[in-house]
Amino acid sequence: MAFRYGGYIGQLLRVNLTNKGITKEPLKEDWARDFVGGVGLSARIMYEEVKPNIDPLGPENKLVMMTGPVNGTMIPAASRSSFCAKSPYTGSFFHSIFGGFLGPEVKFAGYDGIVIEGQAKAPVYIWIDDDKVQIKDASHLWGKDPFKTQEILRKEIGDEEIHIATIGLAGEQMAPYAMILCDIRAAGRGGLGAVMGSKNLKAIAARGTGGVAVPNVLKVYNTAIRLNELIATTPAVQGLSQYGTPRMVAAMNEGGILPTRNWQTEVFQGMKNITGEAMREKVVKGHRACFACSINCTKYSVVPSGPYKSIINGADYETIYGFGSCCAVDNIEALCKADELCDHYGIDLISAALCISWAMECYEKGIFTKEDTDGIDLKFGNADGMLEMIEKIGKREGFGAILAKGTREASKIVGKDSVRFAIQNKGLELAGHTARPFPACAVGYATGPRGGSHHDIRPTPEKSGLVDRKVLEGKGALAAEVNHWLILCDSMLLCHLGEPIWGPMKISDTTIEALNVVTGWELNYEQARKIAERQWNMIRCFSAREGFTREDDQLPIRFMEEPVPEGPMEGSYIPRETLERLKDDYFSYRGWDLKTGNPTREKLIELGLDFAIEDIC
Amino acid sequence: MARVRVKTFSVVRDVLGSDVVEIEVDKPETVGGVFDALLRRYGEPFRKMIWDPNTGEMTPFLIRLNDEMIRSTSDMGREIKEGDKIALIFPLGGG
Repeated sequence: MAFRYGGYIGQLLRVNLTNKGITKEPLKEDWARDFVGGVGLSARIMYEEVKPNIDPLGPENKLVMMTGPVNGTMIPAASRSSFCAKSPYTGSFFHSIFGGFLGPEVKFAGYDGIVIEGQAKAPVYIWIDDDKVQIKDASHLWGKDPFKTQEILRKEIGDEEIHIATIGLAGEQMAPYAMILCDIRAAGRGGLGAVMGSKNLKAIAARGTGGVAVPNVLKVYNTAIRLNELIATTPAVQGLSQYGTPRMVAAMNEGGILPTRNWQTEVFQGMKNITGEAMREKVVKGHRACFACSINCTKYSVVPSGPYKSIINGADYETIYGFGSCCAVDNIEALCKADELCDHYGIDLISAALCISWAMECYEKGIFTKEDTDGIDLKFGNADGMLEMIEKIGKREGFGAILAKGTREASKIVGKDSVRFAIQNKGLELAGHTARPFPACAVGYATGPRGGSHHDIRPTPEKSGLVDRKVLEGKGALAAEVNHWLILCDSMLLCHLGEPIWGPMKISDTTIEALNVVTGWELNYEQARKIAERQWNMIRCFSAREGFTREDDQLPIRFMEEPVPEGPMEGSYIPRETLERLKDDYFSYRGWDLKTGNPTREKLIELGLDFAIEDIC
Repeated sequence: MARVRVKTFSVVRDVLGSDVVEIEVDKPETVGGVFDALLRRYGEPFRKMIWDPNTGEMTPFLIRLNDEMIRSTSDMGREIKEGDKIALIFPLGGG
């Protein structure tokens, strides 16, 4: 029977790796309507099915891969998918989003999402071939890197067109920030690769030959045409095809907002060698796009020979930021090699880079010597030392085993005030978007469920001058509305590179149009906003149930104590009292309890989340 | 008339053909006047990069005027003087 709403398949796949059970169950209509899909729907499922305080690496945790109603249609910038689980890295609900083709493929195979539970006794992979689903032996894949695993599976299955999510060595070893590589894109953050590894699940491969039904194909077509025109003409989207996400490296440096030397400053002298322009000149050989997307942001880069010989899909901005300016390495070829190594081992490159830049600062300040770092000279700018350390992190060998724990845990082990250099919140290292000059971004980082994620908040409204960055008033409300457009997009699985179209200050009419035209709904702004607010509160409830409180909503110490020392943003920072004031503003706007930071009983009733009242109120 | 140096990046730089261009600004000698002068010199390709055809308005971005950060949304009336350096902190986003 067809699902009531367009864009959905109407069916979830459940795979229990303990008892090898494979079941197909109907998608709940009310959950689809209330939580849409992707992250929102996964949060609802996780809240229902995962008990509080379980071991994230135990069989009780679940790994949910979810699509959204827009996935698999011709709507552009809408091909992402989400993996969600309780994170071993942060200890709460975590979503990691990836682009490419796997999400649409899973829908074409006949599923809106996959709920993976239990723990296999030996390595396995899941093979989804339309309605035929199998749990297969993966002992021959264990120990293989993600790309080799994909190559073997494609050959073994005899189909070059299958799409595959897989873990590397780090995931197998349950390294805290192991990632999941999905074809060439990564669900990189939060250690969800470790969750997959804990289940002895090496890979998920899918092939689908079905389609996605929508209420009116012509309406969807017209919306897709309009969206493609917007992508082609909106100035703030320009440059992604030519330069990828590193398009703004030079501009950010000029604006004094390029995090450098483990965020000791935000201006990098070696910037010119690691810009999007430098990449295009030296290493980029082609462009790649995700399903049905006209942005073409992914660059295909090759370093043909020499010590940094590598082939990557990137580098993206976060590579340039993390291994480039933060480690003060100004060699684009070395950055390509760093990117390749992270994929090879299956580790989140943002966390890996920030662990190394943290170690570099400790090294230069005398907290470490070469004896501590296995003989590696970890001074800023030493590309070879950085690459050696990535290898050690990937293998969890020697000093790398400490860095593989992340900066929060590593700084606890090391002590000596090194926590002051740990650029993390809730354990997650920050992406390369500063908050020191931007109060809304700061409170968004602090209160974000994932901590250091630049996809729970965006600096764009303040960074573009849409609002006055120096004013504190109204920034709580701004952060909340940015949360809302982000979470709605993460539930529809729209790509945030379409930020000027989907946001950037609040949920845009275009976003609502894309959702309505695919599902057949007739949501207005208030209704769409309420869904997003419900999703955000659902995730906050999950964290509260795990014991998180207002006290956990913090910024890196550096952001609160050290003003930017130079450049046009000189003097910017968010003192603790300012952060607390911003949190009051944010919680008040959200109707949350000022003392605990939890949603109130009234708010939960208003949003239809009554079932969470007894857990957190 | 004031002569200023304008620095741009990425696709805007591609339109202007150089990292830095010098441009003469007639009255009004303001930041807005700089954009008028750039539009006269570089025409439609420059307009496409800065003005959103879907709204008809200039895309918001920060501008570095010497060592100060100002906003395209509120500071186009700021006066400029001979020798000023202006950088367009644009495009932004992504990552």
